[in-house]
Amino acid sequence: MVIQIILLCGLVIFSGLAILLRDLIKAALSLAVASLILGIIFFRLSAPYAGVFEISVVAGLITVLFVLTIALTKKGDEVAEARLVKMAFPIFLILFLIIDGLVMKSLLQKIPALPSGPEAGAFGDVLWKQRTFDLVAQIGVILAGVLAVLALFRKKEEDGDE
Amino acid sequence: MVFSFIVIPLLLAAFLPLIGKFSKKLLPDLLTNAALAYLVFNSILLIKTIFNRGVLIQNLSWFGETVNLQVALDSFNLFMLFTISLVSLCISLFSVDYLEHYGHRSTFYALFLVMIAGMNGLVLVPDLFSIYLFLEVAAVASYALVAFGLGYDELEASFKYLMLSVVASAFALLSITVIFGLTGSLNFQAVAQGLQDLGARSVLGVCVAFFIMGFGLKAALIPFHAWLPDAHPSAPAPISAMLSGLLIKVSGIYALFRIIYSVIGITPALSQILMALGTISMVAAALLALGQKDIKRMLAYSSISQVGYIVLGLALGTPLGIAGALFHLFNHAVAKGLLFLNSGSIQHITGTRNLDELGGLGKVVPVTAGTNLVGALSIAGVPPLAGFWSKLIIIMALIQAKEFAYALVAILASVLTLWYYLLIQRKAFFGRVSEKWAQVNEAPFWMSAANVLLALICILAGIFFTPIFRTWISPAAEALARGIQAVLMWGL
Repeated sequence: MVIQIILLCGLVIFSGLAILLRDLIKAALSLAVASLILGIIFFRLSAPYAGVFEISVVAGLITVLFVLTIALTKKGDEVAEARLVKMAFPIFLILFLIIDGLVMKSLLQKIPALPSGPEAGAFGDVLWKQRTFDLVAQIGVILAGVLAVLALFRKKEEDGDE
Repeated sequence: MVFSFIVIPLLLAAFLPLIGKFSKKLLPDLLTNAALAYLVFNSILLIKTIFNRGVLIQNLSWFGETVNLQVALDSFNLFMLFTISLVSLCISLFSVDYLEHYGHRSTFYALFLVMIAGMNGLVLVPDLFSIYLFLEVAAVASYALVAFGLGYDELEASFKYLMLSVVASAFALLSITVIFGLTGSLNFQAVAQGLQDLGARSVLGVCVAFFIMGFGLKAALIPFHAWLPDAHPSAPAPISAMLSGLLIKVSGIYALFRIIYSVIGITPALSQILMALGTISMVAAALLALGQKDIKRMLAYSSISQVGYIVLGLALGTPLGIAGALFHLFNHAVAKGLLFLNSGSIQHITGTRNLDELGGLGKVVPVTAGTNLVGALSIAGVPPLAGFWSKLIIIMALIQAKEFAYALVAILASVLTLWYYLLIQRKAFFGRVSEKWAQVNEAPFWMSAANVLLALICILAGIFFTPIFRTWISPAAEALARGIQAVLMWGL
């Protein structure tokens, strides 16, 4: 229980840092630490598949991409932020934590534990046989993401070529 | 085949960027329009099956192995699929000429098709988590499309839309997680059964509140509307038409009411809350629309207001109320699609959307002016256009249910609607032609053709109101009104 609370607090702190830190590299690393902690929490909640994906994809792969991208930017690319915006996030975070605490407190006793673990079946069975439709939708999301990158980072000089 | 509604747009979207390398214009135009025309045709073919059988459940097998690809089609989904296919076909016809501004046709169409696949998927799946996933498919594509012009305003609007939309998805996902925790299942039928057996009212109350916040944000109900008046006007005209005409209805209203009616079940208190939200949106957005100078911004506020009508009718929960709301959903999709496309034509012709700069266009561009008038009068509810009948049914349903106050507000909001639409007519199309616009030409062929097609649908749906209502709208409304009982009988 104590370890769980420490992990959860760590998750919130590092997620907050990821947004609050000005230095992008530090922010990306905080995000990686946050998702590493989330992965550990998944393991402890006996959801190993979710844990493996979280750590390998989010903590590993995505962090590498972030760091690479930041390494490619130049000095002078940073954007000044208004003071009001800087204030907004911490205020919302605190508000959210209070509301979250109140809601969760009232829910805690009322949600019964799952009858069986959601990952009761073999991973392949769950993914390919029970949640196949989700794969179709995920292909859709990835396709949309790729196309969005194609659309938003297209070369401007090509705009008038048709 | 029902799966084609998801598979065809997704496959075509995957290949379009490649096709775009060989043919910049002809093939992307042709293939996209052909695919959408096929989907319209397909949804018409399915009417008879659904009419005879009531509900169609299809499973797909993959090389002989059964996989859990399952779609459930009843008259309500079919009604939504037809509306999506029809309006998006008109919008893609409009895009043929409109995209000359932007270039990069294949990428645009690919994103457009992914958005349609996402909406079709959302409508077809009988599973809570899949609803969330397809919601994201449509949403991710729409963020990119809003920013497609790459100007400062577009990017800012897209960012704002992205941020609020992510919050909306998070609320919906949170609620789905809690329901999964309660029932151990995600399938509509199993969840409905599980919730009935469980009777956990207070937890379910929190879930419903999160659903209302999440999908209310997607549907831009007041007070969750802040993103819409920025996002919709900034997008290219076909995408504004798509967002206002279809996306807010599918990812907001359809998802919310499908879950409420088919999974959770409606209670009198919930009905009252939603009716109040609908009414506030209806009136406040109409008042806000009055002060706008930008045509597209005015139309965006009008969308919020009309969504209020639809929510009011659906939340009332009587068969007549639901039928009126669904008919209004169809009419608004067509008419608002028309008006946004039309605003694109106006911008193409004059280079501005500011009402104060326009004037007297009716004499120089009669097709654009005429179609705009039809769309405006249809939404404002002037007989014999389609919008009149749907508003009349909603108001009749309110009176039948003895909700006289709501009925009165609905009538007054309708007057407000007529007021701001007449304002557009007076400022943009009537009056003396100013020197500046005396020499302008009508919009290109496909832009005008799409406008005329949508205007004809507004007129025909009004004239042939009775058969359309009997064969299309009533069965869809009954499928929804039967609610949980119907879903439990699906026997998935």
